[in-house]
Amino acid sequence: MGKKRIIKKPKVIILRACGTNCDIETENAFKYVGAFTERVHINEVLKGYKNINDYDIITLPGGFSFGDDISAGKIFALRIKSLYRDFKKFIDSKRPIIGICNGFQVLVKTGLLPYSDFKQRVTLFLNDCGHFLCRWVKVKVNKKSPSIFIKGLPEEFYLPIAHGEGKLIADDIVSQKIISSNLDVLRYIDNPNGSIYNIAALTNEFGNVIGIMPHPERAFFSIQFPWKTREENSVGFHFFKNAVEYVK
Amino acid sequence: MSLLKDKFLFDVFKVNLNQLVALNNKYGWSLNLEELKIIVQYFRNISRNPTRAEIETIAQTWSEHCKHKTFNSPCVLTIKDHRGKIKNIYRFKNLFKETIVYATEKLKKSYCLSVFKDNAGVIELGKESKWGICFKVETHNHPCAIEPYGGTETGVGGVVRDILGVGLGAKPILNTDNFCFAFPDKKYNVAKGFLSPHKIISGVVSGVRDYGNKIGIPTACGSVFFDDRYLYNPLVYVGCVGIINRKDVNKEVLPGSYIVVIGGSTGKDGVGGSTFSSQDISENSTSSHVQIGHAINEKKVIDVLMKAKELSIYSALTDCGAGGFSSAVGELASETGALVDLDKVILKDRDIEGWQVWLSESQERMVLCVYEDKIKELEKLCEVEECQMYIIGRFTNDRKLTVKWKGENIVELDMDFLHQGLPKIERKAIWIEPKMKNKISKISVMDYYDRFEKIISDLNVTSRRWIIQQYDHEVIGQTVLKPFCGVNEYAPSDATVIWTGQVCEDFSLFNGFAVACGMKPNMSDISPYEMAKYSFDEAIRNLVCVGADISRGAALDNFCAANPNNEKVMGEFSLAAIGARDASVDMEIPYISGKDSFYNQTNIGSKIYKIPTTLLISAIAPVEDVRNIITPYFKKPFNPIYIVGSFGKGFGASVYGRLFQNDNNYISPLNLKQNRKVYLKLLEAMRKGFVISAHDVSEGGLAACVFEMSLCFIGADININEIIKVYNITELEVLFGECGSKIVVEIDLKNEKEFIKLMKNFPVIKIGYTTKIPSIVFKDNGNILFTSDVNKARQLWERNVL
Repeated sequence: MGKKRIIKKPKVIILRACGTNCDIETENAFKYVGAFTERVHINEVLKGYKNINDYDIITLPGGFSFGDDISAGKIFALRIKSLYRDFKKFIDSKRPIIGICNGFQVLVKTGLLPYSDFKQRVTLFLNDCGHFLCRWVKVKVNKKSPSIFIKGLPEEFYLPIAHGEGKLIADDIVSQKIISSNLDVLRYIDNPNGSIYNIAALTNEFGNVIGIMPHPERAFFSIQFPWKTREENSVGFHFFKNAVEYVK
Repeated sequence: MSLLKDKFLFDVFKVNLNQLVALNNKYGWSLNLEELKIIVQYFRNISRNPTRAEIETIAQTWSEHCKHKTFNSPCVLTIKDHRGKIKNIYRFKNLFKETIVYATEKLKKSYCLSVFKDNAGVIELGKESKWGICFKVETHNHPCAIEPYGGTETGVGGVVRDILGVGLGAKPILNTDNFCFAFPDKKYNVAKGFLSPHKIISGVVSGVRDYGNKIGIPTACGSVFFDDRYLYNPLVYVGCVGIINRKDVNKEVLPGSYIVVIGGSTGKDGVGGSTFSSQDISENSTSSHVQIGHAINEKKVIDVLMKAKELSIYSALTDCGAGGFSSAVGELASETGALVDLDKVILKDRDIEGWQVWLSESQERMVLCVYEDKIKELEKLCEVEECQMYIIGRFTNDRKLTVKWKGENIVELDMDFLHQGLPKIERKAIWIEPKMKNKISKISVMDYYDRFEKIISDLNVTSRRWIIQQYDHEVIGQTVLKPFCGVNEYAPSDATVIWTGQVCEDFSLFNGFAVACGMKPNMSDISPYEMAKYSFDEAIRNLVCVGADISRGAALDNFCAANPNNEKVMGEFSLAAIGARDASVDMEIPYISGKDSFYNQTNIGSKIYKIPTTLLISAIAPVEDVRNIITPYFKKPFNPIYIVGSFGKGFGASVYGRLFQNDNNYISPLNLKQNRKVYLKLLEAMRKGFVISAHDVSEGGLAACVFEMSLCFIGADININEIIKVYNITELEVLFGECGSKIVVEIDLKNEKEFIKLMKNFPVIKIGYTTKIPSIVFKDNGNILFTSDVNKARQLWERNVL
């Protein structure tokens, strides 16, 4: 599995849990860019009915996994940690993992971001406003980041956010390292939640794992935009297309 | 009063009426004298005493909440003029059948796939579409008055389960919410033991947020209305739209199949909820009737059901709402019969009686009729999704409801008696017309701007962003027209438009549907009849503004009223129902579901606080191509602005009236037959591409409407002289009046001539043009009435209430 394979139609596993709720639109986005998709419950993996290493891309969609009890994404992260070997194998083979919203929270709490070594270094905490927030925000791409997901994106564009716990927190050392190695993929132009350095998305050092707080799958088709713009339509498309192109 | 020690509460052969009434009060059955007598007679006929479980089952099944007996009663309505002279007397054998059902049956629309028989009505998504859409709105007023957070959560959970229970299970894809509150910015002397409007509002909004967001259904359509009379009785309407394959619209209960419950465990929570909702609120009402929801349990139920439907595991299902198993199993088995063993129920409470298990309203449960050979498959599915399931019995073919607890039968009732035995009582209704006054105090032109500012910062006009932003209105990625649209999402939308390609997993389809609502409760004091028509018209007008196909649309009626034993309350209510009937018939848009909620009144000491009769009309209509919808904000400078529709005299039930002229209660009646023609013509102009923005004139009048259209940096220059001349009304009525029904449209300059040609013979007036600068100017010919800097006015309008 370690070496690069030639795949015609990449297989994407939409890994869900109780309370995941952005699985259909995320699956549709991958279908649209030509992937073969399957929605799989984490329990099916834990029971051994499915194996994540049979897939080329892992997606952790948004939602409220296990009700976000304890803290957002925490329980889902613990279940993933019990699959440590499988995930390590997947990441070592440099296959892409994309976590959106709750998926980002899960990746952070599993310790797959910003470093994919199963040690949690940062967290996503309650928004400064104190509650869930759903609106469109402007973000800026860090073109220097190693992320494989950002090819073709305009410099600045709008994406919708919908989260209660989206404020990225890290201590000074970790945050300096994130910035100096360009692990911040996206930054808010008008910070909606109080994230450090206005960070909206993180990558790991290799660039195959991304966690993103806004929802690219909700900015995928031009009709999803709240107002008509020239260049920014269907900007979310690139994230999914890049993942599929990468594994092809 | 002697009570038998064991399971029998009284001896039907010895009990007298006084004892019955005392028992009724003691146990809170909310049964009336007639009903008590019939129950006693039934048990005398079968020569035995009733068990507690039986009486409780009957009380729940016959409650106002479950059977809507007031609306289904015979009714005599007397209408008097303001001097007390009788003008008219109407007699109804069944008020509901002769108003709401009458309209739908008269219209006989072929696109209605199912009406009035299931949890919610279903209409075709579009011509010959293989999909249907269903829509249901519920109220959860009583629980929200005393425990707003839990009350709202369980309200949302309940209406979503209603949709899950339609046919073989519709997929819920959109939630709506409409609230009526007292003003949170006003000081009230709130009685001890009751919550302040501020507390109620923040509880209700967080309830919708926490539950709605977690189950992954966008909450994207709603309204809030403020009036002092909702102080002790806030109204909380929660709605849900579902999508269902046409082939799944019907269900069938097969004798021999298993009765299976999926979802939450059963406890003592919410026992007696529907009887509690069928009486007035008082100082003694306790919040122990109200539960807290568990959204993730409901989400699991949704996930299991959607898969189980694909695998054809069950042949029928229904939700567990008011009355718990008693009404769920009772309804499903009404044509067959059922044998239930309550010892199989998974309990979360050990100290519980059989009748409590049977009637418990524990949340997040659905009851399924599962094929014998599919049980294993369902078990596996539930295991993966971590969803509980328990088999509680079988459907039979003996037309009897038999319930066992600890080996003994605690219920043995004939289905026919349970469902048809309810006696009907004639209701008396009276309506006294108030004297109408159209007084308009002249003011200096200098004061126009000040009044405009006060109006756009009034809570019935201001932005609802403080609520909407807390709701996930984007989940599923299908919300094409969101609650806010335009640059930076600055402008408020008239309706919500959903693209169904996402849930149908077909990206080549661009069809969808639009949902909107209308209510005008403060008009009930002046004319409940016109109130209903205004509400209906507003909902439909909102759909027209986005370009939805109202000729294939449907409406929902949700009435709320005070205690119907009061003849005046019944008068308001029945007249509103007649208005609702005429509105539907005239607009040729049928009702597919609805609900009524009574006893929205609070008795504190000797004081009675009543709500005005409130009718929420929710409307839904297909959208042929969601890429072509119309949005409300101005698009380009130098385009002509027209007003379509007609103005009316009066400031009755308007924001202006309440703030500055409360001695004016005049309202102009609506002609909905004419409105239908105008709307269809305007839709034609939209399809031809002539119209590029449209917004309806509602609270705050024309001035507020034009202001909202200008929020995205394109201003307007408006001259109202022509309107004054045509309708012979004052400047103030044109600017701030809310009578009549009108839509402001921006026309693409290059199509103006064709637009005028098309709209010939229709009420259309040119009122100005769009401008480059973000400001609005109102003129009466040469006189500038007022100008407003939109960016400054925006600060006033974007008020945060919480």
